[in-house]
Formats: sequence, structure tokens, C-alpha cells
Amino acid sequence: MSTRLQPELRNQLMQYGIGDWNACYHCGTCTAICPLSEKGFLFPRKKIRLMQMGLKNEIESSVEPWLCYYCGDCTNTCPRDANPGELMMSLRRYLTAIYDWTGLSRKFYTSKIWELGFILVFAALVIIAFLVLLPSMGYTLNKELTDEGGVKINSFAPINIIETFDWTMAIVVAGLLISNILRMYYKIIWKHGNTKVTAWVHIREFWRLVFNFAVQPKFGKCEDKRYWVSHWLLMSGYTIMFIVIVVYLPWFQTEKILPAWHPQRILGYYATFGLLIGLFVAITGRMRRKDVKFYFSHVSDWLFLVMLTLTVITGILIHIFRINGMPYATYISYITHMTVLVPMILIEVPFSKWSHLAYRPFAIYFQHLKRYAVPRKTKHL
Amino acid sequence: MEEPRIGVYVCWCGTNIAKMVDVEAVTNEVKTLPNVVLAKNYKYMCSDPGQDLIIKDIKLQNLNRVVVAACSPRIHELTFRTACEKAGINPYLFEMANIREQDSWVHTDRTEATNKAIDLVIAAIRRVRYHEPLQKRSVNVNPATLIIGGGISGMIAALEIANAGKQVYLIEKSDHLGGQVLKFDLTFPHLSSAQQMIRPIIQRVMSNPKISVFLDTEIIEVSGYIGNFKTLITVNGNNPVELAFGNIIAAVGLKPFDPSVIKEYNYKEFPDVITSFEFEEKLLAGKILTVYGKEPRNIAIIHCVGSRNKNYHEYCSRVCCMAALKYVHQIRAALPFANIFEIYADMRAYGKGHEEFYALTTHKQNIFLMYDQQKQLPVIHQADRSDDCNMIIEMNELLSGQSIEVPVDMVILMVNMEAHENVKQVVRAIGVSLCGNQFFIEKHPKLDPVATTTGGVFIVGTCQGPKDIPDSVAQARAAAARILATVAQGSVPVEVTTAAVNELLCCGCRTCIKVCPYTAISYDEIKKASVVNEVLCKGCGTCGSACPAGAIVSKHFTDFQILSEIEGIMSMSYKTS
Repeated sequence: MSTRLQPELRNQLMQYGIGDWNACYHCGTCTAICPLSEKGFLFPRKKIRLMQMGLKNEIESSVEPWLCYYCGDCTNTCPRDANPGELMMSLRRYLTAIYDWTGLSRKFYTSKIWELGFILVFAALVIIAFLVLLPSMGYTLNKELTDEGGVKINSFAPINIIETFDWTMAIVVAGLLISNILRMYYKIIWKHGNTKVTAWVHIREFWRLVFNFAVQPKFGKCEDKRYWVSHWLLMSGYTIMFIVIVVYLPWFQTEKILPAWHPQRILGYYATFGLLIGLFVAITGRMRRKDVKFYFSHVSDWLFLVMLTLTVITGILIHIFRINGMPYATYISYITHMTVLVPMILIEVPFSKWSHLAYRPFAIYFQHLKRYAVPRKTKHL
Repeated sequence: MEEPRIGVYVCWCGTNIAKMVDVEAVTNEVKTLPNVVLAKNYKYMCSDPGQDLIIKDIKLQNLNRVVVAACSPRIHELTFRTACEKAGINPYLFEMANIREQDSWVHTDRTEATNKAIDLVIAAIRRVRYHEPLQKRSVNVNPATLIIGGGISGMIAALEIANAGKQVYLIEKSDHLGGQVLKFDLTFPHLSSAQQMIRPIIQRVMSNPKISVFLDTEIIEVSGYIGNFKTLITVNGNNPVELAFGNIIAAVGLKPFDPSVIKEYNYKEFPDVITSFEFEEKLLAGKILTVYGKEPRNIAIIHCVGSRNKNYHEYCSRVCCMAALKYVHQIRAALPFANIFEIYADMRAYGKGHEEFYALTTHKQNIFLMYDQQKQLPVIHQADRSDDCNMIIEMNELLSGQSIEVPVDMVILMVNMEAHENVKQVVRAIGVSLCGNQFFIEKHPKLDPVATTTGGVFIVGTCQGPKDIPDSVAQARAAAARILATVAQGSVPVEVTTAAVNELLCCGCRTCIKVCPYTAISYDEIKKASVVNEVLCKGCGTCGSACPAGAIVSKHFTDFQILSEIEGIMSMSYKTS
């Protein structure tokens, strides 16, 4: 069956990144140089072709964009300066928008006003919650909280409410992500082609999802291993932090200051260290613009980095002020922390950059499902 | 005939020959043969000392025949003939034995190679004994030139010759000069105006007092030979006019291929499927509109229409790829939001500035789609009512491996450039040959691209094969330079080793006339014998071998000469076997 070209799709795709992909004349150097491109899952050239031709279904059923970790070798060796690396990045943004059924992701990627607007709205809601909602429920900044030189953070921000809120937020975000992953599964495995994947293959290959999430071995295949290290530190720090503040908040956030060797503090310090290293590499990289992978920065890249940095810095400040018994400074830092953290989680995780934490390992899982796909029985007419 | 006194010289060619052939043995072997006065070997016979050796020996030893065993006569025959001439003997009393290309380079056994060299040298010695002195001849050249075709090549050649003060007769079949270039809007790769380029040239040609332009003109016949041609032409169908001239330039150009034979494209069925030449008309008119008077939203440009396809023409038309890229720029300028599909088989961008032009064009938001010329051409069909386009092109896209449908409102077919049907008439008149694609054949594809095997007849521009404007102009100027050189000399040397008819033996069967590829033989009704025009004859020897009466002698290739050569080749074989 033949597919109708959709030239307009190309113009849409152009909004998700910067690249003159039309300049590509299909020599295939990019595919040859890519350490991650493999038989059956060849990229970037083939993906550039789909993009140039505007073949919507073929693009949406691709796993390849998620198999690329943007080392930049393709862009460096491209004889036509067509920037294949950035195309793969843009396709990831496009696919994120496609998987998202709410349509918000597309708005965020293609409109700065929408993205900034939503961030500001969520930030304002957090501030209102702290300054209006909580006091109206009786949680005022009374003398008790500042007395005795101690910092009573779990009373200032009532831990049961915060925990409920954290769980709610986690469930909303997870719900969005899971529904998007189901759509991704539908597009890549279910709908695509005349093949099916048996249930046994689904079970047998499931370990890849966990393994790739935890270790990111594909990233390690890129030429420059330093980025794998910094990315892994960032990812593990973030994951640890996310788990402890959502699942183990009462254990993690205690009013009593525990000794420095306590796992609570060690885990916190490790996560902070990982995040700082990862952020430092990413931010300085994007500022120096020496490596191709950092050469082109989308608004969403910078917004995410800025928000995560602010979150980490305010988190560190909370810790310092709390240990040193400075209640007001702690509370102000806490409000700031939450003002940045909440919009970051709500926008970045399901709709934007951060969603790749789910899409990448799932794409690798789906890639392996595709590998073992068998032809569907066709009815002979 | 005086007693032959032969000098034999065996060349080492550095180590090229000496490595595989024992040159000393060859020298000694032939030294004692009858008529051989001396035999020598030397490192490089073609060098000045080598030539001096021959000249000195001719003078001192009173030699009257020379044999040099060295490389191919194509390389150094002229060198040694000139040396003989310097020493005062006729250059045709020389013979060369090729013991390099035909011996040392192709053998691995030194003894056998040496024996073969001896055979070849003996053959040359036997042959040279029967060589006869031949006299160089030349004919006077009429300084006027006839140019057939008033396109850019013909006009440039005309101006070049006229500017040197020589008369040009420029004849053109249509009622105006300018040829195909006059039909173009812009040229590639600089997107400069074709009109602004060609119109002043037409003006200069029309106003040049040394150029006589004949429009609406047909050639009836051309007769004569290099330096002395005559033609009969009719202007506007009126009484024939006779012109006399010394050289001819054929610049008859070509014509666009008619794509209606390609079923897949439905040309003429669908009014918005047009050829590149028809699209140029739209561009010149200043508006790109469909037959419905609308600006097309989707335009496809299909490459290689009738080119590089066994069913139509196998050759590449060379200019269509760049012309198609040119259209992208022109369409983009006129219709900034149109979708432009460049449907190509291979992109050929070999010329100066062409690859850069290709790269530049890729930034014009057009879509390149590749099809497999050998498997399946794209198919154009009518769109459904529900579609928002006029036509759909169905194709297998090679670079994605997808079969796709391209929505289009206008299709431009980049048609092949093919020879005129009436080219054969010109060919018969001026006596040149055509290749399988009906293009004129040049004398040598690399070293003599504007001359033909007929002396005084030159071919320029696209009648020799599809080419772009710069190449056509270069050829035109090259041919003009060649002609002006002979005109400046006032005469041209003609072939010496021609055929000659022994009228007493000729039975008048006229077999020779039929086989002569140069139309050099005619029949004399009074003498009842064939007559060779020695100016037209190239000495190919076809008539000599075809003559049943043995009446035709090919000078320098007489029966005696060839038979002695064969005897020479065989003589040593008798000895060794």
C-alpha cells in the first residue's frame, strides 16, 4: 500500500529543532559512523528520509529516535551539514508530543508562551498554597515554628499534606506517562506492519526495560564515555531523590537532625552530588557549545536545566539552613524549592524533556519486541 | 629500381625493450641479411642522438631504406620519417617494427620474445625493400566557411571566423536565429538571463558584414572536398543559390524528446503535465499557472524523461538535472509556499559550479524523491474528487524503500535531447557518419572532438551529443580556430597513401564505389573505369581489397609490400621448426 506524502508535516517538524535536514543527499555516512545504528534499526539517514518526505505513520512508529544518545558523530561527519544528530533530537521531541494524548506537549514544544505560562501558573499555585491555602487551614507561621531555635519543617509544611500531595502528583504524572507509553506501544508494536509479538516474548524481554533504565548501556556505546558517567550520575541522583521524597518522605524529611553517616543523609548527599555533576556538565557544555550534542539548545532544554538547578540549589539551602537552625531562611527556601519543583515535575516529566526517562528504556524494550515479531496470519481471500 | 641499401636500428627503449628482448642478438641476426648495409642498437632511438645516428648513417653509408625496431608507429613513425627527410631520403622509404607493445611488453620468455623480435624486424626489412617514394601533396583552401545551423554554437563560430576577417555563410532552417537558447528564460548555474545573452549575439551576427545569413534555408547538396566545397541551397523555397567555401561547420543542434510515447506520464492526456520546454514558455511569459488558471500548490519535476532508459534513449542528456534544479529556484521565487518535488533517478552535477548549485538548491525547501529508472517509472494519474490536488504520482521511492503517492497540480517533464529527424539529410550532404543515437561522430572522441573523418567538415554543439551552453560555445570556438588555421596557411596537406586505379585492369564493376566510406571514388563513363579523388581518399584500403580485378593499388600498401612482409614474418619460423 502506498502512503501519501505530507509535505506540511516537514514544516511542523522544523518547529521541534534546528537543522537543514533537506540538505541531506543520502550518502549514509551518518548511519555508517553511528555506533548505535544496527541491522533492522538503521538511523539517522532513514529517519531523515521519512522526515523529508513527511511520512507521518512511518515516523510515529519508529523506535530509532530513542536509540540515539546524541553523541554528535553523525553531525560532525555529515558532508552536507544537514545535522542528522539534531534531527534525531527533534524527532524525540516530536514523538513526545505525538505520544501525549492531551496535546499539551505539542503546545509546550512549539510555543514558548504556553510552556512558560504553564510553569508560571503552577508556580503561582504553589505560592498561593503556602501563603493562602495552608494558613486558611490553620497552619500559620506561628511562634511555635520559630521558637527554641529549631526548624520544624514538618509542621511548617504539614508532612501528611505534603506526602498526600506528593503521592497525588506522582500518580498523576505516572498516569500520564503510562497512558502515553501505551500509545507509544500501540503505534510502534500494535498498529505497525503485519506482525505480532507473542506474550512470551513480552515477558522474556521485560528485563531489558529495567536493565536499560538502570544502566543505560546503549549510551555507554557512544565514543565519549564521559557523558555516560555524568548522565548516569544525574539520572541516579534524580531517581533516588524522587523515590525518597515521594515514597519515603517521612523517613527522609525528619525534624530531628540525624548524624552525618545516617543513610538518610548519605543518600541525600549522593543524590545531590550526582545531580550537581550532571547539571554542571550539561550547563557548561551548552554554554561552551563545543560538542555537537550541546550545540543546539531548544527552549525546553534550557528551561529544564534552569529549573532543575534551582531545585537542587534551593534543596541544598534548605539543608544548610535547617542544620544551622535558621527557621525563616529554611521556610523561604522551602517555598522556593516547591515553587520550582512542582511545575518542573508536572510539566517536564509527562510532557517534555524529562519524559525520556520512560520512553528510552521502553523504546529499547519495544525494539527487542520488534526483533522477535512474527508475521500475522493473513486471511486469504 | 636502385639496389636497396637498408639501415636497421634496434631500440632498447631504456629497459622497456632491452629487458625482455636481447637487442644485441636481434642486431646480429639481421646484420647479414641481403640488402642490409648495417644494423645497430641504441638506448633511445627517438632521442636526438638516436635520430642523429640515422641521419649520419644515411649520409655516410649512402642508405636509401631505413628500418627502426622500437615502439608503436603511432608514437614515433613521424619522428623517424622526419629524420629520413632531414637526411635527404623520401620519408616513405622508412618502416617501423613494433617490438615493444607487440613484443617486450606482452611476453615473459626472453628467448621467445627475442625470436619474435627477429621475425618482426625481418618482416620490416623485407617490406621496406619494396617501398616507393611518395610525394606530399596539398590543396588550396577557399577562405569562406559554411555554417549549418543558427543556434548559439553556429553563431559563436560565425562571429569567431568573421572577426578574423573571413567570409561566413550561415544557413538556418527556421525563420530566425537563436536556436534552443532563445527558448530559455534563465541559465544554470548562475541563474543569468538566457535572453540577455543570446539576443545581442543574434544582433551581432545579423549586422556583421562578413556573415551572410540565410534564413528559411535548406541544403540541396554539398560537393567537393576540403578547401574547395560547393553547395546548392534554396532560400524560402526559391531558386537554388550556389555557394563556394573551403570548410563546413555543422551546428544543427537537436530537439526535445516527445514524451507522449511514455504511457506512465500521460503527457497530452493531462493538460498540466508539460515538458521543460513548455515550462520555459510559462517562465518567459512571467506566470506559472495551471490550465485552470490557478497557481499550482504542488509541482513535481520528473527527471530523465526519455533519457537513460533502454526503451527510449540510453544516453544521458547532461543538462536536464541542472535545468530541473534551476526550476526549483524559479518556482520558489514565484510561489514561495508551493511544494516542489524533484523526482529524479540520479543527480548528475559534474560541471563547473554544478555541485555547488545542487547544494544550494537543497536549501530551497524542495523534496527530492528518487526512482529506479530500470524498474518502474513513476505513474501519473488523475486525483479523486476528494483529493485536494489535480493529479497523483505513484512511485517507489528508493531512498526510503516506500511506495508513495505524491500529490501534484503540475508536472514538469525534463525531456531528453534527441537528434533531429532530418539530420540524415545533412549527414548525406556533408559526408559524415552518425552514431547509434543519431549524433554526429567526431574524428577522435578525446583528441579530436570537433573534427570529423571528412577533411574540412567540423561538428559543434549539440549535434555531436547533448551538452550545455559553455561546452557548445567551446566547441564552436575550437572549430573556428581549426578552420582559421587552415585558412591562414592557404593550403592543407592531403593524404599521400591513397588508392590508385589501374584503368587498364578496371572492369567497371563499381564494387569499389559501393564500399568506399569517403565517397572518394566515382566512375568515368568515357574511360569506363573508376577514378579515385585523391583529396577525399583516406587510404583505408577497402576498395583495394574489394576489387575483384586487382585493379586498385593502395599506395604504401601494395600487394608486393604486404606479401614480402608476410614472407619475412614466416622466414625465421621455417628456420626454427
